[in-house]
Amino acid sequence: MKKKTLLVLFTAGAVAGGLLSTKALAQVEGELTPEQEMKLVQEYNRFLAEGINPGEVWYEVGKEAIKKYNLDKCDLGLGPGVFKGAMAQLPRYFADAGKVMDLETRVGWCLQKHAGMTQDQVLKFVRQCWGKTGNCVSEYDGIIMYLTMESNGQKINVNLKDPKVKRMYDVGRQVYYARIGPWDFNCATCHAGKQEVRIRATRLWSADRPGEAGNAVSIFPKYLVRWGLPMTMHYRYAECIRQMRWPEFMPHSDLAVALSTYLYGTANGTEIKAPGIGR
Amino acid sequence: MKKVALTAMTLLFLSGMAQSQQKKAQPQKKEAPVTQEEVIKVLTSGLSTDPRFVWKVQQDEAQRICSQYTSREAMPAQAVQKVIQLSQSGIRYPQWGIFWGDWREGKKIVDNPRGGRFASYGFSDSPTDRGGNCYACHLIEKGAPGGTMGPNLYQYGKKWNITKENMNSPEALERVRAVYNIIYNAWSAFPCSSMPRFGHNGAFSPEDVMNIVTFLLHPDSPVNK
Ligand code: HEC
Ligand code: HEC
Repeated sequence: MKKKTLLVLFTAGAVAGGLLSTKALAQVEGELTPEQEMKLVQEYNRFLAEGINPGEVWYEVGKEAIKKYNLDKCDLGLGPGVFKGAMAQLPRYFADAGKVMDLETRVGWCLQKHAGMTQDQVLKFVRQCWGKTGNCVSEYDGIIMYLTMESNGQKINVNLKDPKVKRMYDVGRQVYYARIGPWDFNCATCHAGKQEVRIRATRLWSADRPGEAGNAVSIFPKYLVRWGLPMTMHYRYAECIRQMRWPEFMPHSDLAVALSTYLYGTANGTEIKAPGIGR
Repeated sequence: MKKVALTAMTLLFLSGMAQSQQKKAQPQKKEAPVTQEEVIKVLTSGLSTDPRFVWKVQQDEAQRICSQYTSREAMPAQAVQKVIQLSQSGIRYPQWGIFWGDWREGKKIVDNPRGGRFASYGFSDSPTDRGGNCYACHLIEKGAPGGTMGPNLYQYGKKWNITKENMNSPEALERVRAVYNIIYNAWSAFPCSSMPRFGHNGAFSPEDVMNIVTFLLHPDSPVNK
């Protein structure tokens, strides 16, 4: 099993690397040549047809990393080291930190507390594969993949009855609609409205169409064939915010937690099915 | 990876310090409604504080108004009026006034998706990245893939009956001005539109806007072929 998945990882990485390594920057910008685009679609379709999700490889990476960084002491809200179902109740309020936190922010907090990392080291650890493609395996992505997959099959159940969580949800909702930045965007510019819209060829999910927020968040981390790596939710926020022309996004910030509380709160009742897969 | 483990080990000794900092008692407050200031504070807390980019997150009055409504339909007439007024009053025109520009230059800006964003992680926007990424939201030239958030702009000049013969008539130039206003500040015609206020925000100069309008309306432009 392990051998097979590793093999898949290798080919996936090689494909992404071979496709794109020479034009890493253009690639992150989404400017593929038609040939590259076609190869990518073929590869994606092959994964779908064969039921392969290379993102699953990161589960094993994460399992190892959790031991290595003492994260078996990490309390995600159900007790230290209790990970089954933990993701489903996040974000939640943590009395020890005095804050509402989502999964990734909490893991960052645990890395500081149990692995002795500084905040800067955590940020580096989180972003080591950002903007990179092909053969970039991050232990952080592994940890998030592992912890999320431990809740697969469970329904998202954010406790909006907790006033602190509810407040973060309300703030997140208003952040979602805040027009700001040099191009006047808010999240709703691309993810709202009853009518389906596309930017370029990509169909966008909408907070106004029932179930779509749930479908969007319940499959994260999502493996991206184009980049050959799984994208965590904070990486997704960073990418959307980059497209919005806001200044660079800081993972594990209150901004991230507010967005997660709004999105996962809206997604309550949706079954977690990580990893998703996309082009 | 070995290196990471090593630093992790050394830093384990310091973790005691971090722990003691975590335990600050939080006094229980009465829940007040969420204010716009609080929202902006949370929002900016998650963005780079590089002083070169602080201007990007200074919300202006029109943005503040638009942030309060989930759609244009939900806006009261007064708010609509205010946004239109704020937007119209700030429009600047080229030195020579409204006149046809160079559609080839306009096309370059329309086609470039990179304007105004940092190219990749760790890099910042370079001033040469002038582009409107119009294809993200519009279909424009025949056969070129585009988005559907905004209306189809293929044959936009033809739609307004602009021909080689009438293109310098007062009516045609009035149309040029109207489209100029839309590109310069989309909110002057469509308050709180998802279309960015390109000229207002300084992404394009008045000459850039003129060239883009020419690309959309000129009878020789591929848009109208
Ligand atoms: C300029 C358009 C744009 C804006 C504005 C935008 N996004 Fe996105 N978003 C995208 C695109 C494109 C995707 C990728 C969709 C895909 O790959 O299926 C995406 C994907 C997502 C996804 C994951 C959906 C999936 O299935 O992969 C989430 C969650 C998300 N965005 C949240 C946000 C949030 C929160 C904001 C505001 C901070 C935001 N977006 C602003 C364009 C945008
Ligand atoms: C984020 C999406 C977006 C981008 C980017 C964008 N637009 Fe638009 N545009 C729209 C929307 C939406 C409308 C419709 C106005 C409305 O109802 O809000 C529109 C309207 C227009 C109109 C008016 C059409 C009419 O009804 O007569 C023109 C002209 C136009 N856009 C040109 C451009 C050009 C040129 C660019 C690039 C410099 C551009 N747009 C970039 C979304 C966008």
